[in-house]
Amino acid sequence: MWLVFLKEIKELVRDKKTLFFMIALPMIVFPLIIGGVAWFSGKALQEAQTKTLSYSIVGAERAPQIAEQLNTENGFEAITMSADTDFKGWIKSEQADFVIVIPENYGENPLQTGQIKIQVYLNDANLNMVESRLNKIVDDIAEQNQQRAFEALELNASQQQALIEPIVLEKVDIADKRESIGHKIGGFIPYFIFILCLQGAMIPATDLGAGEKERGTLETLLISPIERHKLVLGKFITIGFAGVVSALVTVASMAIWGIVLSQGMAIELVAEFMGSISIIDFILMFLMLVPVVAIFAAVLLSLSIYARTFKEAQGYMTPLVMVVIVPVVLSMLPGVELKGGWAWVPLTNVALAIRELIKGTMDYMQLVAIFGSTAIIAGILLGFCVYWFNKEKVLFR
Amino acid sequence: MISISHLAKKFAVENPKKLSEQEKKDPRLKGKFFHSVKDVSFTCDKGEVLGLLGPNGAGKTTTLRMLSTALKPDGGEIVLEGVNVVRDPLLARKKIGFLSGSTGLYGKLTGRENITYFGQLHGMQLQAIQQKINELADTLDLHSFLDRRCANYSTGMKQRIAIARTVVHEPKVVILDEPTTGLDIMATQTVLNFIRGLKNQGVPVIFSTHHLAEVDELCDRVSVINHGLTEFDDTIAAFRELAPQSLHQAFLHTLKQDVSSCG
Repeated sequence: MWLVFLKEIKELVRDKKTLFFMIALPMIVFPLIIGGVAWFSGKALQEAQTKTLSYSIVGAERAPQIAEQLNTENGFEAITMSADTDFKGWIKSEQADFVIVIPENYGENPLQTGQIKIQVYLNDANLNMVESRLNKIVDDIAEQNQQRAFEALELNASQQQALIEPIVLEKVDIADKRESIGHKIGGFIPYFIFILCLQGAMIPATDLGAGEKERGTLETLLISPIERHKLVLGKFITIGFAGVVSALVTVASMAIWGIVLSQGMAIELVAEFMGSISIIDFILMFLMLVPVVAIFAAVLLSLSIYARTFKEAQGYMTPLVMVVIVPVVLSMLPGVELKGGWAWVPLTNVALAIRELIKGTMDYMQLVAIFGSTAIIAGILLGFCVYWFNKEKVLFR
Repeated sequence: MISISHLAKKFAVENPKKLSEQEKKDPRLKGKFFHSVKDVSFTCDKGEVLGLLGPNGAGKTTTLRMLSTALKPDGGEIVLEGVNVVRDPLLARKKIGFLSGSTGLYGKLTGRENITYFGQLHGMQLQAIQQKINELADTLDLHSFLDRRCANYSTGMKQRIAIARTVVHEPKVVILDEPTTGLDIMATQTVLNFIRGLKNQGVPVIFSTHHLAEVDELCDRVSVINHGLTEFDDTIAAFRELAPQSLHQAFLHTLKQDVSSCG
């Protein structure tokens, strides 16, 4: 059994393509892609922020303060527009970035004018910062007007505040930080880990079953005097091992890159959050993955040995990714909790348990049900795999 | 010494409509089953080489696969040095060296590692395997490529490594399914010399082939299978007597066909 395992691992390690998919892709390529996208979008935003915007004002004489501000502010360029211009077409033909229309009732005293609506015409389909940049200018003026109105009414500071926001709802969260963050991210983490385990196991699984058939090595292997269940176990352990390793590699790389990229931004929060999860909880999470990976490995190996070729095997395996989503989605439904019947539903229970462990509200008694049901199912599937490996119909299709 | 008697094997036909016209006409198709091998018997003694002949699809490969324990026969017996192969396949496997027609190697491993792996699966010690590999490398001329990865081998190199792998555990009988198909003249000669070497060591060899010249050169016995039945099983001398002019004539004679009928 270990002989088969060691040989399969040796082959796996020598296969550059597999290694690339299992290690290089999650560790280097994915972060590079994500980082690249983040860098480019950041750059685009910055450009929009500093780009010189051309504009026209309709009714500038009614609001000299705004016109003056725009004129002196860096990054704005006034363009004169004849009075009868259709400014929608004017903007469309890119002669100006935006046009603002000052209403008739514009004035400096809100108590007399009522609310003032300044219309801004612009093409908002493209990335632009027009609104936020204009707001910065207008807000200043609005605040000055507001202050003047308060003074005219002779209101004190607390009255002013009460007028702006008469009633405020203040939320007092009794869940500790870990529980509330845990609940938010705890639903996605099992999904991530499951898919990663499955993906990581898939590549060697194709090779170990259908690959042997396609290369013609299977027949020779079958007639060597090794008992069939040992052969299956050797292959099964290889696939499971690859699944766990690739999941660990991916999670570790996400953690490392996350720390590197966030560079002290939200880092304190993350560190505090991670620190509150005990080592035992981490180990439990990992242990629960073992039977899950066993289920995946048994299913994958059965599919792989049934397939005649690589291609056929990949065709059978791809829909599995969709199937795995179902139990994880179930675990995210409201009302589905880790107790009673749900604790016995395979995959769903592990997804629930991982969330509970992250939240720190785990009922450790439920571990019996989780390990029990998952191990039983993995065992049955493995048994089926051995049976499958004894069928001539499967091996010599 | 290996003897097989009245071997039979049928396969379930999943979708009879999908079969070709020729397959539908085959007398072996009965209802939902295709009786690939119906009644095959032959024996091969120590130091004998048996050539298994027959047209394509006659049941040669199925017969050899049953001999190698890859397939389980539906009827008949295979006895290898007193071991009932059908009843005790695990024990029999240690005594059999089988080279399948569509065999391959693990491309990521070197030739030496390929052979070693199967030696280990046969329960051999590493030291014994290395010694045996050195010995085989001399006879099969493997030295120049033994430690390179198999993915880049030529057909001849692959076949020689595959043969070395077949006999690394010193089997009591060697079964080769079309061992020379697709090889160049030099590689073919190496294979034939190797079979001769086994014969001299007293190891019975059963091999299937389409080349009658090889039969002429090596075989002591000839067995002809057609439509899953043994049509001829005797010594090479008896085979020659069927048609003294040529072995091709003799072969066609066993199939009850005339040369002229072949166009």
